[in-house]
Amino acid sequence: MVRVRHGLLVLAGVLVFIQFIRPARNISMKDYPADISRLYPMERKVQGILRTSCYDCHSNNTNYPWYAQIQPSGWWLASHIKKGKEELNFNEFGSYSFRRQQSKLKAISNTIKDGTMPISSYTLIHKNARLSKAEQDLILNWIEETKDNLLKN
Amino acid sequence: MKTAILGMALAMLSFSACNSGIKDTGDTGKAIDTGQTRSTTKTVEALSPTKRIVTEYLSLKNALTKDDDKTAAQTGKSLVEAISVVNKASLSTKQSKVFTDIADDAKEHAEHIGANAGNIKHQREHFEALSQEIYDLVKAGGSPSQKLYYDNCPMYNNGKGGNWLSETKEIQNPYLGIGMPTCGSIKEELN
Repeated sequence: MVRVRHGLLVLAGVLVFIQFIRPARNISMKDYPADISRLYPMERKVQGILRTSCYDCHSNNTNYPWYAQIQPSGWWLASHIKKGKEELNFNEFGSYSFRRQQSKLKAISNTIKDGTMPISSYTLIHKNARLSKAEQDLILNWIEETKDNLLKN
Repeated sequence: MKTAILGMALAMLSFSACNSGIKDTGDTGKAIDTGQTRSTTKTVEALSPTKRIVTEYLSLKNALTKDDDKTAAQTGKSLVEAISVVNKASLSTKQSKVFTDIADDAKEHAEHIGANAGNIKHQREHFEALSQEIYDLVKAGGSPSQKLYYDNCPMYNNGKGGNWLSETKEIQNPYLGIGMPTCGSIKEELN
């Protein structure tokens, strides 16, 4: 009995303790001349959808949800954002080579069609990030147009 | 009480390792590895730095024709390495330009193929884009003294089609695999 109580005490202590280990935040006040919206003309609507549904993990600024304040979920979030940015960063889109931009546009299109993006663990809580059929079509059409324009140049 | 202190100390140690946040350095990921080849590299590569890339690509293609996602993943990883070790100085001007143009993207496609054993559909999506890039590289003079065929499968990706490079004259389809191995036609012969 005493052991169990000790064990629980230790666990509680650890839980309290880890709250003090906070990952650096993905927040930046810089201006992004290479942002995708500056490179390629897009309707405000399209830009809005990207910002709501993608930018949290794919840009240099994250709107943090309440559970990011609690560890270990804050760490888990940080690792997701890190991976997401490595894969695709909308703020830095202009720094990618021409082919990489093409590939990224194609990949965005594919993941939206597959329903693999935005990831379900994210949309579970961020209900407003879910893409309706109409929103999906808006993005997909915009990608098609942009890809065609890229190839013409 | 001692156990509690011990537990805290242990926790401290194990979690301090996790405290690696994201810093916005403002640069995107890693720069392209120009891959200064070490003097130990095989002389084969001195002859044609792109030969290994094409060889790995063909192994990848052959794995996909057999629906073999595991081997495809392995060859994807080897391809990443093959792209990394190319010494641009040893390429002709024309090749070097194309190589610079495709290197980071081709590497990324190969990485994804390497990381997606168990998801052959996704591997094929990346293979399709990769094929275009390897074709451009070969066209720029990277054909390693071997005859290659540029094939097309009109059915892939809901009729959008997909191309690939092959070392054999007969069609072996990497997009439809065992299901429809002979679907496709030769678009171009590269010497």
